[in-house]
Amino acid sequence: MADIEIEIDGNVVNAKAGEMLIAVTDREGISVPRFCYHKKLSIAANCRMCLVDVEGAPKPQPACSTPIADGMKIHTQNEKAKASQKAVMEFLLINHPLDCPICDQGGECELQDVAMDYGSDVSRFTEGKRIVADSDIGALIQTDMTRCIHCTRCVRFGAEVAGIMEMGGTGRGEDMKIEPFLEEGIQSELSGNMIDVCPVGALTSKPFRYELRSWQMNAVSNIARHDLVGSSIYTQTYKGKVKRIVAKDNESVNETWISDRDRFSYEGLSHENRLLAPQIKVEGKWQEVEWNVALDFALRGLANNVFNARQADQLGALASNTATLEEFHLLQKILREVGSENIDHRLNIKDLNNAISLESNIKLAGLEGVDHALVIGSNLRLEQPMISHRLRKANLSGASVDVINAMAFDFNYRLNSENIIPPHQTAATLAGVLKSVLQSAQAEIPEYLSDIEVSDVATQLANKLSDSDNSVIVLGEHVINNPQASSIANLINEIAQQTNSTTLNLSASGNSTAANLSCFVPGKGGLDVNAMLAADLKAYILLDVYPQYDFHNSVQAVESLSNDDTFVISLNSFKDDAVAQYSNVLLPIASFYETSGSHVNVEGKVQSFSAAVNAPSDAKPAWKVLKVLADLLELPGFHYADSTQVTTEVMHQSHKQHVHDESIDVKVKRGINIIWQKSPYAVDVLSRHAASLQATKIGQINSASMNKATAKKLEVTQDDKYLGVPVVVSESVANNCVFVNSNHSTGGQS
Amino acid sequence: MISTKAKKQIDAWVAKYPEGRQSSAVMEALKIVQAENDNSLTSDSIQAVADYLDMPGIAAAEVATFYENYNHKPVGKYTIRFCHNISCMLNGADDLIAHLEKKIGVKTGDVTPDGLVNVKKVECLGACVGAPMFQIGDQYYENLTADKIDEIVDGLK
Repeated sequence: MADIEIEIDGNVVNAKAGEMLIAVTDREGISVPRFCYHKKLSIAANCRMCLVDVEGAPKPQPACSTPIADGMKIHTQNEKAKASQKAVMEFLLINHPLDCPICDQGGECELQDVAMDYGSDVSRFTEGKRIVADSDIGALIQTDMTRCIHCTRCVRFGAEVAGIMEMGGTGRGEDMKIEPFLEEGIQSELSGNMIDVCPVGALTSKPFRYELRSWQMNAVSNIARHDLVGSSIYTQTYKGKVKRIVAKDNESVNETWISDRDRFSYEGLSHENRLLAPQIKVEGKWQEVEWNVALDFALRGLANNVFNARQADQLGALASNTATLEEFHLLQKILREVGSENIDHRLNIKDLNNAISLESNIKLAGLEGVDHALVIGSNLRLEQPMISHRLRKANLSGASVDVINAMAFDFNYRLNSENIIPPHQTAATLAGVLKSVLQSAQAEIPEYLSDIEVSDVATQLANKLSDSDNSVIVLGEHVINNPQASSIANLINEIAQQTNSTTLNLSASGNSTAANLSCFVPGKGGLDVNAMLAADLKAYILLDVYPQYDFHNSVQAVESLSNDDTFVISLNSFKDDAVAQYSNVLLPIASFYETSGSHVNVEGKVQSFSAAVNAPSDAKPAWKVLKVLADLLELPGFHYADSTQVTTEVMHQSHKQHVHDESIDVKVKRGINIIWQKSPYAVDVLSRHAASLQATKIGQINSASMNKATAKKLEVTQDDKYLGVPVVVSESVANNCVFVNSNHSTGGQS
Repeated sequence: MISTKAKKQIDAWVAKYPEGRQSSAVMEALKIVQAENDNSLTSDSIQAVADYLDMPGIAAAEVATFYENYNHKPVGKYTIRFCHNISCMLNGADDLIAHLEKKIGVKTGDVTPDGLVNVKKVECLGACVGAPMFQIGDQYYENLTADKIDEIVDGLK
């Protein structure tokens, strides 16, 4: 678009032809009031608040929907503009209640602010005001629809961004209401953003209701650590407590949106299950003690079980994927300093010799620009909401998306093809895709593909990838325990290279990229998690591990850790019965937002954050606990004044390339395959303790889905439980496959 | 929820629009489904139309609640659609509606116990020249008076 010059309030401004006037004034810092306009939503021009005077136009024009043209002269402040804005303001206030003193939006309300500037101090409206009944739309959003000014931002957000139109404007004229159609509650995983876009107090945060005024709180920039994105957020705190979380603009990561999981998980911080004081187990009984007593006890335990006998290889360290980059680094450094390589964070993987190794070589923002995507093994929308949103944007601008899943999921855009394939055929299908790609490129077919028959599906998937200029292959979490997981990743890598596609590895969760960056994996001669548990090591240091949720085989894990001669030091943020059973020392640590540190997202972007609040009671940030532990062990090189020095150290250390198995096995394995996936709101300890999240539809997902034939084979029916999870019989699941969405781990049965 | 016959009728409307724009037929589809269900729509039938046209339920509900041609409560055999906009109002529509309600014994929106008649206030029907007026079926009745209304209502069977 050509550069043109326009004149705003007497100043010459450069802009692009066709831009909307309000985009230009926003860029130039000229204030134009608005309610319905939002930079990320379509233009509705229904509130009329942004009327400005355009020379030559008979009537004032809405700045949000007036495309600019060369030589245009605009007045935003003259009498005509001001008079129209004031008139619109008066109309908007006609039906708006004067309940600011009891409204949660008070103090951060766009209507309140604009009314201060443009409203009259006396209302001429003496007639009765409109009252609108509220609808209950779920556990996260409070509605006060009498306050609604019909800007339709929430409606457009649903239809355009969330991809499920849930709110709508029913009725008309004075009877128009913004409401959901059926009172089933809002289902979207991004619904909380409606609170942010609502310019008035009609949609506010339910868990935050009547808590505080926005000006009473401190806002601290932070990073949400629940997924592979690391969305930017503000943690709003009051008297040392996190009271609310809102989205922070970060165009290259989360734009202006955050997922509900990132927004509402903070509720878990004040859960009664928080571990608040150090405890030691003496003769089978737990005692609350001072930190120095607990640390002393821990050291003696380590000395007795490991160091006195010079058996450093009897010490293991395990961490969950919620730890920070610094915590991973310090814990592995301690282990390596004392001479142990038994370090692992991949607790949910059944067989680490069959682990996925696939690099991500596309930026989050780049996902919007792809013209084709092949998604394998992911319920993308619920597992990685912001990544799904980017892909949806690509799809809306023309990209096609093919899916290979073991079950049909709800994608909020139109798929080019959805291929429901049993897990044990995934590798064979991808082998078919690779063969087809090679065949059409007339390349040599390697030995391992010789027996592969190329199915029509494989040909179609292959052609799509070959024909696209900018395609991406996305590997999801459902594949981690596939009997051919490693081969699947290697096949994807091959296909990507042959078709010039990028790859995106979403198979691990949380802050696992940081764990890999800080080498929190076994080194030479070290044991992986399963080998450690099988070897019944004599001592462990565990970082925020919760066996029923984190381990693939929780039964084996608890059993091994509970051995009488095993000494377990647990750094935990929450209390847990199993942890209490096997631990000898419990050290309370800070949870999310209570510690400084860094998150590394899937594109490798390191995002550091500071603590928004102090950890409650006696709990301490884990990086400090680990540093003190290292000092007490008299290990060299742990003189850190703050966590940023740790960050610098990690970033400067050489990152070892992990050796990985490049073999590919494409044989179809027989038998029933179970995919065990944590429920979307049970991915980590904090979200599991967030009451409002758990009360939503997504929070209550807990099912073992299988088709009729599989149910018959397993001899279960709709009313039964399978592996402790309620059975749902549905033909949307691939044959010979059980898809489990549960808030606890398998117990090793899959 | 939607009969095969109705689906055929809806398909004929869908065919008038470009492919992928089937939701453009929502108004006709709602009309067809309403006609099939004693001239009124329920949440379920609106959802059924939305599902059939592959659009969000709320989007169909927006249309169904915007236009007065759609009924959301049971209606009688005859619906008297009484205009209450400016010309009719200035010519005494409000008094005549009160008279009509008294005459049939039920309020606007309710159906007479015998299921014969109900009254619905509607927006301008474009017959201001004959205000006050109402419409029954396809027929306009203009220049209404209390006596004339009595006569018309008595003639309904």
